[in-house]
Amino acid sequence: MAHDHFRDRIPGTPRFKEKDKNKPIGTEPFFPNFLLKEWIVGALFLVAFMLWIVFNPVELTDVANPSDSSYTPMPDWYFLFLYQLLKYFPGSVIWLGSVILPGIAATLLIMAPWLDNSKVRHPFKRPVATSAMMLSLLLMIWMTYEAHVQHEEHLASQPKKVDTSAMPADTTLVDSADPGAKIFATSCAGCHGADLKGVVGPFLIGVGNKYDEAKLVDTITKGFPPNMPPKGGLPSDDQVKQVAAWLAKQKQK
Amino acid sequence: MFKKTYDWIDERLGITPIWRDIADHDVPAHVNPANKMSAFVYCFGGLTFLIIVTQILSGMFLAMYYVPDIVNAYRSVQYITDEVLLGQIVRGMHFWGASLVIIMMFLHMLRVFFTGSYKAPREMNWVVGVLIFFVVMGFGFTGYLLPWDQKAYWATAVGAQIAESVPWIGKYIRTVLIGGDMLGALTLTRFFAIHVFFLPAGLLGLLGLHFIMIRKQGIAGPL
Repeated sequence: MAHDHFRDRIPGTPRFKEKDKNKPIGTEPFFPNFLLKEWIVGALFLVAFMLWIVFNPVELTDVANPSDSSYTPMPDWYFLFLYQLLKYFPGSVIWLGSVILPGIAATLLIMAPWLDNSKVRHPFKRPVATSAMMLSLLLMIWMTYEAHVQHEEHLASQPKKVDTSAMPADTTLVDSADPGAKIFATSCAGCHGADLKGVVGPFLIGVGNKYDEAKLVDTITKGFPPNMPPKGGLPSDDQVKQVAAWLAKQKQK
Repeated sequence: MFKKTYDWIDERLGITPIWRDIADHDVPAHVNPANKMSAFVYCFGGLTFLIIVTQILSGMFLAMYYVPDIVNAYRSVQYITDEVLLGQIVRGMHFWGASLVIIMMFLHMLRVFFTGSYKAPREMNWVVGVLIFFVVMGFGFTGYLLPWDQKAYWATAVGAQIAESVPWIGKYIRTVLIGGDMLGALTLTRFFAIHVFFLPAGLLGLLGLHFIMIRKQGIAGPL
């Protein structure tokens, strides 16, 4: 029948083999008919994958440094639920979280066909298996989410590092005998660094390239509440002027 | 010409029966997305295999430039990313593909679970599938270290610490894993060897078993 003819294949895909009319509608030989359809799905999938890659370039962090133990390690996302599990078993019982529980879970997963050995296959007709899997799924998703949130919180609680990406290559200080330099060393260096490279406050190397003395006086006088007090906490306007005069000289390449 | 060449090979290797077995079996209607749109859930296994193939290919091309020692590993990855023609793309494929394999494999596993497809006579194929899952997790763990950047190093340091927490034998597992007392040059070559020789050998063997069993046992009927 003409109707069946159109139902059992995608229009436009070739049919190299004569179909057996006795077979149920929709049944197809694996090659080439079914494989072509899979191929179409695969091609669409690959296009989406390639687009993702183009718009999400992979980054490389700094080279491995075994002496820098301040780095906060984080496993790849698909290990996060296991990583989170470990946090519930601190200290001497860590082996419960690292061996026993994952071991039990892995064994249960492998043994699934023998644990759920009834003949029925529909998920609603075997409520124990279905709800057990749903529960583990929810637990995994929740633990992954928790691990992510706790990691973000931890990162936020770490002292911020100064963004030095725009810092000039030449970092030599200009005129360090200037009276402004001495005031800076006692009052400002705590936040901006004795070498102007920044600590909790931003770096000031090359600040003279961007601002002149008048603008610097103005900026220091206003301050950056709440981190930097007005006048930078200096007692007199004269001192502000001296520091600004010295900072205006900091012209680096 | 083509027919003659084929006949010559077939006479010696007898490939026709194998080829017929692969090509001619019928695929039932309920797994055919062209027949019923919701059958797309049956594509997850095939898509997982497709991504594994792209992982193998992109990995082979990365291996042309990658150097597994602690002096050059980082720089070679940098070189691949910044200098090699399409290097950024190939590295991106391998990096994102790793996550994608996990996602697709997980979806495939859930489909098999919720359709009860692991029931008799397909128990063995489920077991092999779970083993594939563990091998792929092994790929993820060993591959993470290879760029030798801060992220890689410290994540692996944590992994080694977890291995150490196993009672009694933890110390030995750690030593076998990282190749000594310290995470260093030996760890990198060891992880590289595991990542490109040991695990692929295991994976290909298991995948072969997986596919042979699908053919032997057939696809489970509609729910």
